Amino acid sequence: MPDGLALATRGLRKAYGKRTALDGLDLTVPEGVVYGFLGPNGAGKTTTMRLLTGLIHPDAGSIELLGRPFARSDRRRLFDIGALVETPAFYPYLSGRANLRELASSGASITRGRIDELLELVGLRDRATDPVSRYSLGMKQRLGIAGALLSDPKLLLLDEPANGLDPAGIVAMRDTLRHLAATGKTVFVSSHILGEVQQLADVVGIISAGKLVREGTLESLLHSGEALRVRVAPAEAVSAQEVLAALAGADAVRVDDAEAGWLIVLFEPARAPEVTRALAERGIYLAGLEAGSDLESIFLELTGDTTASHEGTFVGFGGAQ
Amino acid sequence: MRIFLSGVRKLRRRLATFVTFGLLAGLLVLILVATGATSNATGGGPGAAAARRALLTFPAAYDSVVAFIVGLGGLLAVVYGAAVAGSEWTWGTLKNAIARGESRTRYIVGTFASVASVTIIGLLVTFAIGIGAAYVGANLAGISTSGVNDAETLGKLPERLARMAFAVTEEGALGFAIATLFRSQLAGIGVGIAAYFGEQFAGIFLEDITKWLPFDAATAVLGNPGEIAGGGGGVQVAALEPNTALVVVAAWLIGAIVVSAVFTERAEITG
Repeated sequence: MPDGLALATRGLRKAYGKRTALDGLDLTVPEGVVYGFLGPNGAGKTTTMRLLTGLIHPDAGSIELLGRPFARSDRRRLFDIGALVETPAFYPYLSGRANLRELASSGASITRGRIDELLELVGLRDRATDPVSRYSLGMKQRLGIAGALLSDPKLLLLDEPANGLDPAGIVAMRDTLRHLAATGKTVFVSSHILGEVQQLADVVGIISAGKLVREGTLESLLHSGEALRVRVAPAEAVSAQEVLAALAGADAVRVDDAEAGWLIVLFEPARAPEVTRALAERGIYLAGLEAGSDLESIFLELTGDTTASHEGTFVGFGGAQ
Repeated sequence: MRIFLSGVRKLRRRLATFVTFGLLAGLLVLILVATGATSNATGGGPGAAAARRALLTFPAAYDSVVAFIVGLGGLLAVVYGAAVAGSEWTWGTLKNAIARGESRTRYIVGTFASVASVTIIGLLVTFAIGIGAAYVGANLAGISTSGVNDAETLGKLPERLARMAFAVTEEGALGFAIATLFRSQLAGIGVGIAAYFGEQFAGIFLEDITKWLPFDAATAVLGNPGEIAGGGGGVQVAALEPNTALVVVAAWLIGAIVVSAVFTERAEITG
């Protein structure tokens, strides 16, 4: 595996009985970036996290953490890694501070004053002496992030870190993770919240049915597809959608941001003049035009079919009878 | 050492610790004081009255209290050990430690050592409370307490207490191992209680076999179970010789810890 990687996996396989969770996963995570690990529910994100933290062991393949192989007997490699896997787990009868203290008694040692520093960072200093059983989901999530940061890790693995956080908490978490990446740490974030990853990540990997289906910088990913982002007056968005559907096909057009009047049309960027002409002929004038797509379109394009075949379809409230 | 000290700190603040030893001490006090208060009652005939008085008569009361603790305390220790080990899986806190690079075996052994230490302290406190209650009961019954200072009994007391603590710790280790195997607090407690009573029940028909099993062997470590002992402290026709029982208990104790550690070492932690 090449140098300068914080994390790499090659041919990683894991099955639970007859169900294959990972089917030859190849991840390449450079040092000092925020890596967004995207995938639909059941795609293998949490299994990957468990493998990377030694909670489970691969059936085949290899893992390299911080430039060195990681196997069953290499638990000390995890001293340089902080992780929040699945839901944050704590002793409910202990306070947030006591939980961090007891967590710090395992694995790598921590510096003096680190717990207070982290409680301040995640905004729990005022509630540090309350039992965790009285914490909201968002507070537990913040405490979990503090737990992951305890040993000042070089590589941070976070599984759905935005779960339960309020909007202000999400912004604060995003700022914190960006700050950590700016100081040279690598942040590996698994999520299915695309907007969050789009705002946070430098590099993105998309997993579907246990395989990596796309990996690259966010910038290259957004400009890799044959798509155009078209902006019209919001009041004309519906009409514009009809015009573009007639041009590119109904499935090729969708609203990206209704309030701002952004539409996405899966259409070769070189044929942009056809789009402007079609809209102008109907009296709709462009306010903006960009080559490229958004993460959601790319994600759905790459994972849509496979997800449906593995998990079924979410029918929404009242949809299931 | 860090894991052990952390374990002790966690148990010191845990409600289950106070409930377990509070219940044991509370029942002991209730029985001994109530016995003292009713020792002159005629219910049960002269034999029962004599037995009640014997329970509160020092120095024999020392043995009665120890036997009670091994009997009911053994059952509570199974539950306590299972609660502590099971919660590590149920709450997911074991996962946290492993993900931080902690050795699985060290975590399990350190956690069990903390359970054993807290159990031993809890038993000694309970014993002290029980002796106090027996003293009060004896006074209520008008029984002389002059035997409380019996030199021979007091000389043997440290060994009796050590045997008691060792036996109950082994029973706690079994609960710990069962919950670890089931990866669940609730299942660990349930199966632990079932195993305890199952062994008592099997002892009615298979005493030559059950005397080698963990709960009967734990009771046999004391040599002469007291009459008020509950559960495993019942009458044993085919009990092991005390020193043999001590070896058997040690084997069960070590076996339970080894099984817990090996299972955890090999486990896929997915919860």
